[in-house]
Amino acid sequence: MAKIKIATILLYIVAGVLATLPAVPLALLISLAFSEHPVYIHGFTLKNFDFLKTGKLFADNPTYSALYPNIYLTALNTFLLAIGNALLVVLISSTAAYIISRYNFRGRVVLLSSFLIMHGVPASVLLIALYYMLKTMGLLNTLLGVILVKMAVDLPLGVWVLKGFYDSIPWDIEISALVDGTSRFGVFSRIMLPLVKPGIFAIGLFSFLSGWGEYIFVYTFIHTSTNWTFSMLIRSLFSEMGGINLALVASLSLIYLIPVIILFVIGEKYLVRLTIGGVKG
Amino acid sequence: MYIPRRIYKKIFLSAMLLPSIVVASIFLAVPAALTLAISLTGLDYRFTWTWIGLRNYERLFRDPAFQLIVRATLIYVAGTLAFNTGVGLLIALITTHIRKSLGSFIRALWLLPRVLPSVVWAVLMMWIFSPMPTGFLNTVIKSLGGAPIPWTFKYYWPFLFIVNGFIGSSLSAIIFSSAIESIPPDYIIAAKVDGASSFTIIRKIVLPMIKWHIAFFVAYNTLSLLASFEYILLTLDGGPGYYSTEVMILHAYHLAFGQYMVAMNYGYAASIVTILFIIGLILSIIYWRIFRLKRLMLEARLE
Repeated sequence: MAKIKIATILLYIVAGVLATLPAVPLALLISLAFSEHPVYIHGFTLKNFDFLKTGKLFADNPTYSALYPNIYLTALNTFLLAIGNALLVVLISSTAAYIISRYNFRGRVVLLSSFLIMHGVPASVLLIALYYMLKTMGLLNTLLGVILVKMAVDLPLGVWVLKGFYDSIPWDIEISALVDGTSRFGVFSRIMLPLVKPGIFAIGLFSFLSGWGEYIFVYTFIHTSTNWTFSMLIRSLFSEMGGINLALVASLSLIYLIPVIILFVIGEKYLVRLTIGGVKG
Repeated sequence: MYIPRRIYKKIFLSAMLLPSIVVASIFLAVPAALTLAISLTGLDYRFTWTWIGLRNYERLFRDPAFQLIVRATLIYVAGTLAFNTGVGLLIALITTHIRKSLGSFIRALWLLPRVLPSVVWAVLMMWIFSPMPTGFLNTVIKSLGGAPIPWTFKYYWPFLFIVNGFIGSSLSAIIFSSAIESIPPDYIIAAKVDGASSFTIIRKIVLPMIKWHIAFFVAYNTLSLLASFEYILLTLDGGPGYYSTEVMILHAYHLAFGQYMVAMNYGYAASIVTILFIIGLILSIIYWRIFRLKRLMLEARLE
């Protein structure tokens, strides 16, 4: 019996290590954000969050301050990208997935497999062409351009996941509603949509987080700092001021993370289901 | 106004379906085709189309940097893949052998790096493994009386495997553990009755039963790693030194959007992307044939 016990203890030790590893970086970030020393973790202070008062970084140093946009503007841009992405993906994928799930039409299989292939192609290979296209359309250096591209990239996953949700709902309800004289659109909007709410929530959550954290598109397509999102601001701050005031980078990152952590805690179950379809390496 | 039912159905179908088709065509299908076209031009900072045939490809194969970037790509993909598969398997095996709630809690924790915005994760890792004395690990080493270690200068590949691996392992862990949980318990009970050790059970029953899931993950992950460069761009950006971590897709990115003199070379950059595209296509077809990827993919989706 003693042997089994040792094996079990070992198992739980490894489990403990596994549980600690991903949490350590986050704990370090929090400690640094409240640190008195600008580069080391030392003491506790709230002064790193002073920028929240006016939105200005380095408020006491006009030379530095002029380099960076107001963080409330950056927050607004980040939010617009996230919510724009979430709304558009949900709107377009929930309607398309319903038709693909319920109706037979010419090209259905082709369409469905195209979405699968498109989902498999990482957006990074399209950047050059997208840059050229956005430039031609006059959407370069605009938030709208980034939202449109981001939404298109997240769309195939949305269609596939929501099709799965529609597929799992039996036909009887719809057929009886149609027989009762409800219009096709009425069946979709009043009966089906409420039934796939969990799927819509999952896709909305995923797309929101995906837009909120987006870096490459913003970095590539946006040049003016007033159009920056948090990802650009933090990246730029880290490369320019990382050696001088890392605690500021950490405190700004922590503000950036608040919605992520809240949504992660609320929707972790949904995200696990979607991770299977995720595109990150 | 009365609309005939057939026409109403057509309008309904189009209105619901067309937005997705339009969006996917404009922003996904057209750019894919356009990339191929751009690779045949000398498109650069002047933004003028001049067809130059396959000259970009000829130039690429003669470029002394080509060998370096292919080598970096192979190391990056193989190393990250090994980390993702190995750590994912470890997480899956451990979390399915402890209390269920604790197991899913650990897997949820591992999703955290994946959910964090890539910039925050990259900044954190750069600070923890910074070669400077102010880097977190180096401050710990110094306080213990040791000499600072030049982490990212010396161990740049292991560093990148870790940075990327914490993102990828959560995916493999979820796939593998759901596969392990779906193994009928009778098999394992029968083996235990026969006196098999846990190690034997894992080697003779668990691993053979999830081998298709491992194959699926390896196939899927190779494809996405070939075209992934976000975390390299955010951390080492091809360095330290000359092209030591410059993978193919990152090189293409630098050629097109980099801050050096070579940038804005869109045509040349597109030729590298096209080659990756073709490699990806060939691999997908092979995977589709061998692993029947489609069936596995649908299976994994159900979780």
